[in-house]
Amino acid sequence: MGDSSPNINVIRKIDAGAGRIVLGLHGSSAVFSELSYTYPLKLLSPRIAHQGVGVIYNLTYGGGLVGGDHIYLSIEVEHGAILVLLTQGSTKVFKSRPGRKVAVRDHDPRQQGQGVVPTKQVMDVTIPDHSAIFLLPEPVTCFRMASYNQIQKFRLSGKASAVLLDWITSGRKSRGEEWEFSRYYSTNELWVDRKRIVKDVLLLQDEELDVKPLPPRKLCDRLSPYSCYATVILYGPLVESTIQHLAGMYEAMTVFKRSTAPDLIWSLSCVNDYPSRGGILRVAGKETEQVKKWMGDTLQPLEEVVGTDVYRKAFW
Amino acid sequence: MASSDYLLLLLADSNLPTGSFVASAGLESYVTHGFFSSRPVNSALDSTVSFVSDSVSSYAHSSLPFVTDTHAVIHALAQREGADDTALVEQALEDIRQLDELYHAMTVNHVARRASKAQGVALLTLYSKGFSRPPNITVTEQCPRETRMAMLVDKLKLAIRREESHGHLPICWAVLAGALGLTLERSQYLHLFLHARSLLSASVRLNTLGPYASQQLLLHAISPLIEAATARSSHLRTGLQLPTLLPTSDQPAVQDAEEFDETTDGPAVTWPLGEILAARHDLQHSRIFNS
Repeated sequence: MGDSSPNINVIRKIDAGAGRIVLGLHGSSAVFSELSYTYPLKLLSPRIAHQGVGVIYNLTYGGGLVGGDHIYLSIEVEHGAILVLLTQGSTKVFKSRPGRKVAVRDHDPRQQGQGVVPTKQVMDVTIPDHSAIFLLPEPVTCFRMASYNQIQKFRLSGKASAVLLDWITSGRKSRGEEWEFSRYYSTNELWVDRKRIVKDVLLLQDEELDVKPLPPRKLCDRLSPYSCYATVILYGPLVESTIQHLAGMYEAMTVFKRSTAPDLIWSLSCVNDYPSRGGILRVAGKETEQVKKWMGDTLQPLEEVVGTDVYRKAFW
Repeated sequence: MASSDYLLLLLADSNLPTGSFVASAGLESYVTHGFFSSRPVNSALDSTVSFVSDSVSSYAHSSLPFVTDTHAVIHALAQREGADDTALVEQALEDIRQLDELYHAMTVNHVARRASKAQGVALLTLYSKGFSRPPNITVTEQCPRETRMAMLVDKLKLAIRREESHGHLPICWAVLAGALGLTLERSQYLHLFLHARSLLSASVRLNTLGPYASQQLLLHAISPLIEAATARSSHLRTGLQLPTLLPTSDQPAVQDAEEFDETTDGPAVTWPLGEILAARHDLQHSRIFNS
């Protein structure tokens, strides 16, 4: 890993936690024309045999993010290249330390008195026609009291492709954590030819308001019996067969009345508006490994696009 | 114009043809998938309250920002000085279409999209057919508000028919409530109340609750839930910069764009399980609702 070192000349004076990736094609091989990053972000590119595919591991020092960490990653893919973005192991978000107080809004009772510094990850991605991004990280795991914001924007041209996996686990199960973080906010925006096709925003936090005489309803009550939730946004010509495969599976299902909740549950919504096909896959499972295995099996048609090696790195 | 209390009575009428009687907002699917336990005795009540609580919280967080911003546009349109009604209405229409487009992009679940559009359009029809002035009741002087609102609703309906706009429920609700002159607070509260009440009506039709039990919950459990959901979400905005809401020489800005932080002030879904279950509605072997 790391044998294609970044060109030092192109690392500009950038803020802590900032990074930039530009991937293009040289002949038939994918070449990083820019790869720069600053602490605590670290980007590594292993050598990949599959033509036209470049892989980046998005790492953070110490294997996780602490309160106040801000990661900003800007990505461009050019000339028909395919960028696969992976992480090594789950992205851990540690407890947000109290201290430097974030701006508190008078009208927002949720923010008052918490005084925690959230962790923030921002990603801005531009993909022109015939190029693609496959964002296939391990899930985010927020520890008890962690506060996390993630904002990802993907600007695609009409013939660009994208697979955007975004998932979260309930915490460190070994320590008995089940949805005990303070706050998790994640937004994924997909723009195609300057039109916003999807803006998927998920906010998970404990409700702090009193609803007496009703008993308090904790975050884990709302999300149980599942401890892993995943969303996959798929778009563009390279994933058409994958969407068709999923739609076929989905439409073949018939649900008869059950007495208990299933171990794994999923849904597919197609976005057919404009200009071509896209889909949103949502999966929830009692075990993270089970969700991962299910996705690895179900998204199999993607293996042909990125190559077996890369596909296995993502789902094994 | 009728008093605000009188309007509330009219709008809360369960006989209004708003299409909500065919929507269960995922409740039917929740029951079918085994999330609803009806034993022991109190479980049906508890399960219903849990569902309504999670559904209302998430709906409030994702839809109230759109009710709020649309209401602000309608309010500005009613208040704004100016002789050129058509130009003002066109600008308001453009803002509403932007709000509708963003709500569409944020409501990815195809079953929820379908239900939201059907109910939204029903509300606009209700305004033009059910709340316009009947021909035998004439007024000596037409008020400018009524003229502008009628023009706006007609244009919006046309845009939806031409598929230039979607006609989603929170947007159309705020158009209707704003056009009738209902305050923002009441428009928000009533929107959530109607959502919760239609869930309880659906429970009765699904036979998971009896009609008396449903009434008991409405009085004793749903009321604090709606209060809490409104308190949490009434300040949220969409974050769109809408020209109708920009400051003019005689009116200050309705919102300050610099101040907007989407992570704390913007719309979001708060119950991902509800999204999955609602999207699986059509997979049910037998079903009585459309959502």
